[in-house]
Amino acid sequence: MHFDEFVRRVTMLVRGKRFQGDLDEEMRLHRELREEHYAASGMSSQAARSAAHRSFGNAVSIREASYGAWGWNWLESLTQDVRYGARSMFRSPGLTLVALLSLALGIGANTAIFSFIDAVLLRSLPVKDPARLVVLGDGDEMGITDRYGSTTLYSYPFFRQMQQKNAVFSNLAAVYSYSMDIHGTLNGNGEMQAMKVQLVSGSYFQTLGIRTAMGRAITEDDDSSEGDHPVAVISYAWWKRALGGDTNVLGRKIKLGTSTFQIVGVTPPEFFGTRVGEAPEVWIPMSMMESIPPGLNGYKDNFAQSMHIMGRLKPDVTREKATADVNLLYQQITRAFPDVKLIPRNVESLSKTHVVLTPMTRGLSSLRRSFSAPLEVLMAATALVLLIACANIANLLLARSTARAREFAVRQALGARRIRIVRQLLTESLMLALGGGAAGIGLAAVADRLLLHMVSRGSEVLPLDVSINTRLLLFTFAVTVATAVFFGIIPAVRGTQVKLTNALKDGRGSAGGGNSRSTLGKCLIIAQVAISLVLMVGAILFVRTLVNLTKLDTGFNREGVLRLEVDSNVTGLPESDPRMVLMFQEIERRVSALPGVRAASFASFVFAQGSWNTAVNVPGMTMNEKIDVKHNTIGNGYFATMQIPLVAGRIFGPQDTATSHKVAIISERMAKELFPAGVNPIGRHYFTGYDPIPNTDVEVVGIVKDVKFGDLQEDPEYIDYIPNPQRPWGYGSFAVRFDGNFNTLSNAVQQTIHSVNRDLPISGVTTLDEQVSRTMTNQRVVAQLSTFFGLLAVFLSCIGIYGLMSYMVSRRTNEIGIRIAIGATRGNVSWLIMSDIVLLVTIGIAVGIPVSIAGSRLVANMLYGLPGTDVASLLGAVVTLMLVSTMSGYLPAHQAAHLDPTVALRRE
Amino acid sequence: MPMIKRDEIPPGTLYLLILKTLSLHGPLHGYEMANSIQQSSENILQVEEGSLYPALQRMLIKGWVTAEWGVTAGNRRARYYKLTAAGRKQLQTELSQFGRVFGAINRVIQMA
Repeated sequence: MHFDEFVRRVTMLVRGKRFQGDLDEEMRLHRELREEHYAASGMSSQAARSAAHRSFGNAVSIREASYGAWGWNWLESLTQDVRYGARSMFRSPGLTLVALLSLALGIGANTAIFSFIDAVLLRSLPVKDPARLVVLGDGDEMGITDRYGSTTLYSYPFFRQMQQKNAVFSNLAAVYSYSMDIHGTLNGNGEMQAMKVQLVSGSYFQTLGIRTAMGRAITEDDDSSEGDHPVAVISYAWWKRALGGDTNVLGRKIKLGTSTFQIVGVTPPEFFGTRVGEAPEVWIPMSMMESIPPGLNGYKDNFAQSMHIMGRLKPDVTREKATADVNLLYQQITRAFPDVKLIPRNVESLSKTHVVLTPMTRGLSSLRRSFSAPLEVLMAATALVLLIACANIANLLLARSTARAREFAVRQALGARRIRIVRQLLTESLMLALGGGAAGIGLAAVADRLLLHMVSRGSEVLPLDVSINTRLLLFTFAVTVATAVFFGIIPAVRGTQVKLTNALKDGRGSAGGGNSRSTLGKCLIIAQVAISLVLMVGAILFVRTLVNLTKLDTGFNREGVLRLEVDSNVTGLPESDPRMVLMFQEIERRVSALPGVRAASFASFVFAQGSWNTAVNVPGMTMNEKIDVKHNTIGNGYFATMQIPLVAGRIFGPQDTATSHKVAIISERMAKELFPAGVNPIGRHYFTGYDPIPNTDVEVVGIVKDVKFGDLQEDPEYIDYIPNPQRPWGYGSFAVRFDGNFNTLSNAVQQTIHSVNRDLPISGVTTLDEQVSRTMTNQRVVAQLSTFFGLLAVFLSCIGIYGLMSYMVSRRTNEIGIRIAIGATRGNVSWLIMSDIVLLVTIGIAVGIPVSIAGSRLVANMLYGLPGTDVASLLGAVVTLMLVSTMSGYLPAHQAAHLDPTVALRRE
Repeated sequence: MPMIKRDEIPPGTLYLLILKTLSLHGPLHGYEMANSIQQSSENILQVEEGSLYPALQRMLIKGWVTAEWGVTAGNRRARYYKLTAAGRKQLQTELSQFGRVFGAINRVIQMA
């Protein structure tokens, strides 16, 4: 029954035209018959017609009521509104274009930034029921590997014990704390390929609930005994890229170092591991850790803490309950290890230990920490820009709706209901917003690619999925509709609130609606100016932060140095092997001999490449195990290459061999603070570890200037340098100081390296300067984008000021004409208009200043080298804004001053 | 011009009048319906003739009547409305409802 009715309604909609014709015809017949009837009863034809019309009633409204009966008039009036709106938009293409463009930019920027926030901060891991997953500890990438009471990283035997003894997890998995960039060969062909390898426990895929796209996952069987399960699961993306989507991928071989692994499975396309922004390409069972270069040992070491442990909570277990259980077991397991050292220091650490369980719904991420603050700032900036765009459009539409006041008055007088007119205005703004939203999505898609490249350090693009998804579309749609309502409702309500008689008498005169309209318009301008100021101050602060960082003294000379990485693991030899030590020395020697090369040296770390640190034991000083010294293993030419000045003592030379007595060069800060005051550290000994173990004993032979080691903003670190022959460790970062052309030299250096060993994979060829500036990526992106948004905000505000002022001038034409006629000078008139602008801008700035100050406090930890409230930045923004906005008001003021009084007066 | 004073039909009874008229006289077009209602009520009930049409549209949607084009006695094209089974059922509903309401009103006003 209901359905029949619906069908009839739809049929009617489809046959709309015929329906109207039928209705008209039958009503006409009715009136004609009635007219004939009256005429037959003796009336004059004139009288008969009017009597027939009278007894029939108002044909137009009856026709409408009949039509309305079918329930489609909303659609009818909507199409009408859309058509009408489109027409009126095309009538002022300039305004429409500005409105659409500013909306597209506002919505596009919001969507683009939001897609990053979504990818980095919001999206759940693409695994089964991610809400039940937790990680033991804080999930931080950095952790302490050798200290009791560590709750971030755990040893493999600890994981096994926890897996067996706990009663709160349905499954538990261990994953190595970082994925390794390893070079290996595929399929037995000799070509070296870089791959990201992630070690996981046999329970990893089962705990996450991942079903492979092909083949099988790594299972507990693969992790049951050490060293004899050479299998690998590869990522979908890598399968496509490195193997060209080969359907016979299963059973293919990957050779890493000296071990050959068989590919047994391919993960589903959406799976990227458990760390957002990392995307491993090859997963290998933990049991094989010693077989992959550089040969990690720790499968059976109870205290080699290098793994994250993640678990899936049993359905009925709360996180509190699990936390209690885990902490109980933590003590039991740790204390029960046969090789546990329960010395007072360790007992104290253990007794203070508390393991927290961190939810892993959205995965682990180091990106999150470095990106969340910049993303939030940028999101706020884009939201403010959108607000300004909205205010602008509200102002423009407001101006237009006032200009159309007369039209609305006429329509209302003719019986159009107010709601109908409001609806029409809302339709127009919704059309604008949807148009802007659609353009914004297009813009966002482009902007996302761009942004991804901007935030990715170096040539490798971050593996983040920032494509448009449902959540994003919903977000954009919400923003768009909110925008439409925000800037559409005020003009609509106001535009129809006219006093009919006033508006009809005079569309231009000083009607009440007009004044309050200007007041509202002025408030919008003030808000725009205030917001612009906030954004400009932000932009200036971020740009100055970037400049400060760029000018910062790193302690080494970052110009004129070539950088590359050599992966020596492919040789299959341990780093301590004398042949390896010789190989590195030979490369250094040959490269140093190249024309244009001033010095060349390997090191474990050059800049921002992580660190290896331990506490040190300096005899005669109280131990502070909280103080970590960063160790760097270097070649003899390192300080010459980096141009790090020697303060005292000597640098390393050929006399420092594997068998000579152990030496170290220390940084200035270490010399000052870790050695007894007033004593020259040169010639003194210390242990490069907590415990005074003889083979860690070194003699200080030199002191060098402090350098930046991990990042630009750090305070001087405690650093010691060790010659490579005496303690090879993570060696392979190569630095070459040169004069002349980079490309020529880069080729020569690579050829020279391959002339020593043609199998060595070379990667990350760049300059030291580039490497340093990559660590400023976030600051650079924030500075660039905030500048862009700041300029956009000012630009939009200027358009707003210009629009409002032009409008006010046109409203006051008459008044200005009279003023000029009775002798006001052009200067007087200009000032009349300009004073309005200056007042508005001043109020806006006055409102903006405290907000800016509060805002700059909020972002204080993203700034560098600037005082808490930076007066110079604030002043700069105020002056710029004042200048620019006054200029945008100059044109209308100029127009007003050059009005011809006779023309102006005649217009009334 | 006829100056007979007519009473407006009580609200809500237009459907009833149309349904009843159609059930008595078979297919009619709008003008015939208007005339028939006036005549049957001995010119007391005044239907604003035009208001028949929106009502007829609503009845078409409800499926109480169907419409078909035909030719009048005077050889003119006219749309004839015909009662459907659903319309007949509706007539009974409306009649009993009207009876109930009318009876109730009657009882109230006779309690002098």
